[in-house]
Amino acid sequence: MTFINNILKRLNYTQLPPRGEWKAFIFKLIDERVRIITAGLNLRELRAIMRGDPPTEKPNPRYKVITTSFVAHLRPRYYPQAATWFTHTFRLGFFVTFFFVVEVITGIVLMAYYVPYPDQAYGSVLAIESNVFFGELMRDIHRLGAEAMVAFSWLHLLRTYFTGSYKGPRSFTWLTGVILLAITAWLSFTGYLLPWDQLSYWAVTVGTSITESGPIVGPTLNLVMRGAPDIGAGGLLRFYLQHVILFPLLAILFISIHYYKVSREHSISLPAVVEELELPPDKKKEYNRRIDLIPDLLSHEIFLIALGTFVMLVILYFRLFHSPLETHANPQNTPLDTKAPWYFWWLQGILKIDPANILENLLNPILQPLLGLFGIEFTLELSKLLDSKFIMGLIVPPVLVVILAFLPYIDKNPSRLSSKRPFAIAWGISWIFIMLALSYMGLPEYGIETPAATRVIQDLAPEEGEGPLREIPYAELEHAHGVYTVGEDYGRDLCPGLAYQPDHDKPDEVVIGCPHLTAVFNQFSERLRVAEEDGRLPDLVARIVVEQFQPGMVRVTPQVEWSDPETGEAKAYEHTYFLHENRVLGSH
Amino acid sequence: MKRVQLEIVLGTIFVLLSAAIVIILGIREPQRLADYVLQQRGRQIEFGAAVFQNNCTECHGSQGQGITGIAPSLRDEHFFTERLDEIGWGSTLEDYIVSVVTTGRQVSTRPQYVGGGTPAMPTWSERFGGPLRDDQIRAVAAFIMNFEQYALGQLPTPVPIGPIVDESTPEGRGQALFTQAGCVACHTIQGISTATVGPALDGLANRAGSIVSGMSAEEYIHESIVDPNAHIVSGYSPDVMPQNFAEILTEEQINDLVAFLMDRTQ
Repeated sequence: MTFINNILKRLNYTQLPPRGEWKAFIFKLIDERVRIITAGLNLRELRAIMRGDPPTEKPNPRYKVITTSFVAHLRPRYYPQAATWFTHTFRLGFFVTFFFVVEVITGIVLMAYYVPYPDQAYGSVLAIESNVFFGELMRDIHRLGAEAMVAFSWLHLLRTYFTGSYKGPRSFTWLTGVILLAITAWLSFTGYLLPWDQLSYWAVTVGTSITESGPIVGPTLNLVMRGAPDIGAGGLLRFYLQHVILFPLLAILFISIHYYKVSREHSISLPAVVEELELPPDKKKEYNRRIDLIPDLLSHEIFLIALGTFVMLVILYFRLFHSPLETHANPQNTPLDTKAPWYFWWLQGILKIDPANILENLLNPILQPLLGLFGIEFTLELSKLLDSKFIMGLIVPPVLVVILAFLPYIDKNPSRLSSKRPFAIAWGISWIFIMLALSYMGLPEYGIETPAATRVIQDLAPEEGEGPLREIPYAELEHAHGVYTVGEDYGRDLCPGLAYQPDHDKPDEVVIGCPHLTAVFNQFSERLRVAEEDGRLPDLVARIVVEQFQPGMVRVTPQVEWSDPETGEAKAYEHTYFLHENRVLGSH
Repeated sequence: MKRVQLEIVLGTIFVLLSAAIVIILGIREPQRLADYVLQQRGRQIEFGAAVFQNNCTECHGSQGQGITGIAPSLRDEHFFTERLDEIGWGSTLEDYIVSVVTTGRQVSTRPQYVGGGTPAMPTWSERFGGPLRDDQIRAVAAFIMNFEQYALGQLPTPVPIGPIVDESTPEGRGQALFTQAGCVACHTIQGISTATVGPALDGLANRAGSIVSGMSAEEYIHESIVDPNAHIVSGYSPDVMPQNFAEILTEEQINDLVAFLMDRTQ
């Protein structure tokens, strides 16, 4: 008995209740603990929340939570009803935060297996995919979440722009938002290098080389980022530390500032139609009705989390997204088509613009005849004066970002109604198209010439990734040994005697001949024929050789021979591909 | 139904479905991991084949069959069954290959290859000044191990198609021989080999006639094949080129080789 009394004393009860009041006593005991854990809500209140009943006490204990709890004090007590319209916010900011949390969780898991050292980084990523339970899932979620976070950040920015929410008191919130966009992009970019495959190595090499063209500090800055003249152990570690420590911390800091401004200082902006138009009083009252955090906003957020998680899992379950892993990084071999991540295509597009060349072409036709009148022969040459990589890489993008960040201080129009800011709306829409156009220009297809034979073979079997040639089932290749010559074997089924089962689990399904190989060969023939006819590949001789090279592995060699259209010199290009029967197994 | 209630119902369904997806993926996961390991091995062999083709074929032959007088076969029965005992290696054959490729050999263990054993197998690992990363060397070993079924006769060895040359002319046959007999291992010929152990042979046809007086270009090339020490180009050493081509090749084959070299006037 003394033991129980001791415990009660510790809980501030000096004596046991009389017989018959035990139930109430225990309830009270539990209730007090619950109130402490929930920072102000007792059991009756919790039940009322669950049932959707109004608060049970006054003052409203649900607000008390927000003043007493650290985590909850970051949250708003309520939002006006109109600010929670789905069509006003589309919950874009919420989802950016959701993806950030997803990234942190999956990132910590991945950190347990990843080794940030060039010799081992690629192998450790392979081990995550092949030797860690749910390792591939974690990596896929991390990658998907990263791309979604970038995409939703941009959409959030567009939404804020078009609803005019950056104006007035929210100017500073907008500024922190632009900083967060840059942090998100940099987080994504630093993570890009970590798998240490060709894709990441060259994307980051090209990306960091932009800084090299900068004046005075440029080469030093490049050296600081890469840790050596070329990206190696030092550079990888620097990117890794930025990715897992520095920029996550910065992101947390700026998300906190950004969100605090929204939740505690200015609230989510009301739709302009509610804020600026004269509305009947009953509507106005309804639109400003408080939507409390507990329970309405919170339950909605939990619903959104469930939805977001579910959608991500569905995407990964049906393999609509898969994080790429190319071959091991090779500093000696620049891939034919280097491609930045899609959210930097616009930057790659900008880099392909040569301002000196444009100015020369614009001014020379005007200047030359003009000066010719005075008998002066003059050709404007700006390319030596204007370093296009420096201007388009180091001047233009930062200027664009600065303009974006200080938009609220540039756009002085006080109204947020889209009908009263036609110029801003048109400006915004045109920038969407400019960014899309620049992104298109950033693709390797644009503005880069590849020799015809190389291009044809590269399109059939790109250096990285699969392509139609590598997707020919092994069952076709192992029975299709031979030399297939362009011009002789075109159009016919290359292996008329063949029949195979594409799927061992479905014995009824049989494929006759080798349709995949035939299709690849026909495509090869057609594209080369076109190049021959328009004069790029005269005297064309081309073939595809398929031979058994090892048990379970064939060698496929497309070969092209032609005469150089200008010099008549004999030229040849061929590429060998080794294809193992196990290269595609299961869902890969 | 109020919106909140709808959200609670839908949210619960989403959570349950998400859990179901995770469970299904979890059930499949062991199979996926096993498949992935096999697939990775397949791709490693492919990658090793490409590395082998770029680095090893000049001495070990385009198919790893070895080149007489230069380097041994990596796909014969002896290599797979007796080599480890012969050398006294305690671990696996694959590790043995990795070890030899990584460090190379200071002295050949089989002096019948390459001029009495020097130069022997060079070091390949970046760690010792070679050109290859460790994962590339591992891949090469995986590729060589994949010859096992051919080497032990468990599968019939297919006839490789090889480089496509016009076998109806002496020049074409000579070009094929240039690779098969191992000349590629040491001599540069544009488009075929970039080796620098011996003199480059492009344009030899133009100067061969004036090297030894009284000897035509054809005679000089012929002599250089069957008796390499008869005339050593300055800057190169005697006894490096195998002396036994007259025994390995028929007279007709040597003439094909001469025809091929006489054809390379550029």
